[in-house]
Amino acid sequence: MDVVVQLQRQLADHTASLFHEGFLNDQFNQLQQLQDESNPDFVVEVVSLFFEDSERLLNELAKALEQQAVDYKKVDAHVHQLKGSSSSIGAQRVQGVCIPFRNFCEEQNIEGCLKCLQQVKHEYSLVKNKLETLFKLEQQLIAAGGSFPTL
Amino acid sequence: MGAAVDHVIPIGMSRGSVEGNDKSQGQRFSSKSKLTALVVDNGGVCCAIQTALLRSYGVGTEAVETGGAAVELISSGATFSLIIIEMLLPFMNGPETAKQIRAIGAQSKVLGITAFFDERDQQEFLAARADDFIEKPLSLEIVIPIIRELNN
Repeated sequence: MDVVVQLQRQLADHTASLFHEGFLNDQFNQLQQLQDESNPDFVVEVVSLFFEDSERLLNELAKALEQQAVDYKKVDAHVHQLKGSSSSIGAQRVQGVCIPFRNFCEEQNIEGCLKCLQQVKHEYSLVKNKLETLFKLEQQLIAAGGSFPTL
Repeated sequence: MGAAVDHVIPIGMSRGSVEGNDKSQGQRFSSKSKLTALVVDNGGVCCAIQTALLRSYGVGTEAVETGGAAVELISSGATFSLIIIEMLLPFMNGPETAKQIRAIGAQSKVLGITAFFDERDQQEFLAARADDFIEKPLSLEIVIPIIRELNN
């Protein structure tokens, strides 16, 4: 089978599964629509920014929750940013964990917060992995001389 | 749009003109007069996405990371059709920023935005004379009616 067709199929299947399994939602589609000839790397750029930002926030959260006297206002601010950014790129599962996380934070429930931190780290690494695979497939497709629809 | 100010434009957005990639030709409508917007958010991801979304509809958009920078920009003469302000900002929060922006005479449509919708925050923003308050993400469904409204 033609390499291009094969890659297109792989890409389509992978993308479909990301939506089907709830990792991504329609907001991600909206990002793809913002990409065009004048802004050709928009999605990769913004998702890379999301990765950097999330990793920073997850580290800050771990640090904040390790303290003797936890500053819950700080924790709340980090969770707030994480929910904002994940919802903005359509990382639905990461966004979802932020909701109970924030509730535990308001209750000053350290165990609940630590559990949510583990969960959000887990969801983050899953979606990161899958998005990296998505981008790799896109690169392979372009290298093979194909293209993928951005609309 | 006023004095040159050293403001933060997220990666990928600073390709010369503030117009960015104008999709308004391909849309069902386009900005009749030139609309402008200011995004006030210290989260890089949200900033980048909100800016790109607005620019794709032909809205000349700038972004700053603090309420102070927004106030400075407007005090120096910049005017905006729309100002989107995040609730949790460092130093001076969203509602305080909205209050100060109104105090210096800005007549823009002011939209408070936040990660977690909260009625207290909504009340705070509205008391500060913001026009509306929404939960992130800023999406097409929200932007399109606003642009229509500003065009009329």
